[in-house]
Amino acid sequence: MSSAEVIKSLVFKQIFQLLDDNSLTVSDDMPLIGAETVLDSMKLVELCLELEDRAAEIGFEFDWTSDAAMSLSRSMFRTAGSLAAEFVSQMEAKK
Amino acid sequence: MIVVTGASKGLGRAICDRLIEKEIEVFGLARNIEDVPFSSMSCDVSSYEAVKTVAQHLKKEGVKVIGLVNAAGIASMNLAVTTPQSVAKKIINTNLLGTIYCCQLIAPLMLRNRRGSIINFSTIAVALGLRGESIYAASKAGVEGFTRSFAREMADFNVQVNCIAPGPIDTGLLKGIPTEQIAKVVSQQIMPKQFNPDAVADLVELLIDSRSNSLSGQVLHVGGA
Repeated sequence: MSSAEVIKSLVFKQIFQLLDDNSLTVSDDMPLIGAETVLDSMKLVELCLELEDRAAEIGFEFDWTSDAAMSLSRSMFRTAGSLAAEFVSQMEAKK
Repeated sequence: MIVVTGASKGLGRAICDRLIEKEIEVFGLARNIEDVPFSSMSCDVSSYEAVKTVAQHLKKEGVKVIGLVNAAGIASMNLAVTTPQSVAKKIINTNLLGTIYCCQLIAPLMLRNRRGSIINFSTIAVALGLRGESIYAASKAGVEGFTRSFAREMADFNVQVNCIAPGPIDTGLLKGIPTEQIAKVVSQQIMPKQFNPDAVADLVELLIDSRSNSLSGQVLHVGGA
């Protein structure tokens, strides 16, 4: 697996740990905000804090407070896949 | 550690001095920290980026933040119709947005520990609708509204958010206001006497103490209103 794929699976694992329904599978198109979201707002904050910690372990700072963070159309939280992509992108930008 | 904004003078400084006296670790924020004799960092709270830099610094240093006191504030006593746009903006940016920015960026440091107390500052001018303070009162009414909603958002994380709303306290903020005008406002308080910064520091001490954990989303009026 490439480094990006490893990080993506790490993000998915963090999301899975916060799901109330353990029968769900985290996929690229799993929505994290909006009407279909699988996480409530409190869980979303918990996810952000967890990802901050994982980022610190990897050696970069994960910024989840950008202007676009909560926009439904371009938010990093649109889906599990977009969040993982943003996480990887911030990691690579700070290398 | 308790983060206190407006730490260089007035109420903010009095609060810092009290907390330090009680051996509580304080980290002060102020635009000018030249004469601040305790751990501090220069920060204009009306700048989101400046507050973010502070939050990043605290996180990087591994500081355990258990409280935030948003005491930074400015006032301008004028009729709304004679207040320049730049002054109106500055009041809203510092008092309202400054409080919001600090809460947004420093609260996550408390969420992680599932413990914390945030104290915002309003004014008796909101409750009394004081003449000549409409823009100042608007900025602080915003702080009160923000406090109540933010308290609900933080409740699941065991972080309390409250607001202290003093009457005219003897600090530099009252500089230039005629004594008669101050006395008139004081006379409208439930307890018609002017309180000093110690009364405010007492409330801060109470609100950061774990014995006040059942209080959140409240506006506490010094002197009563």
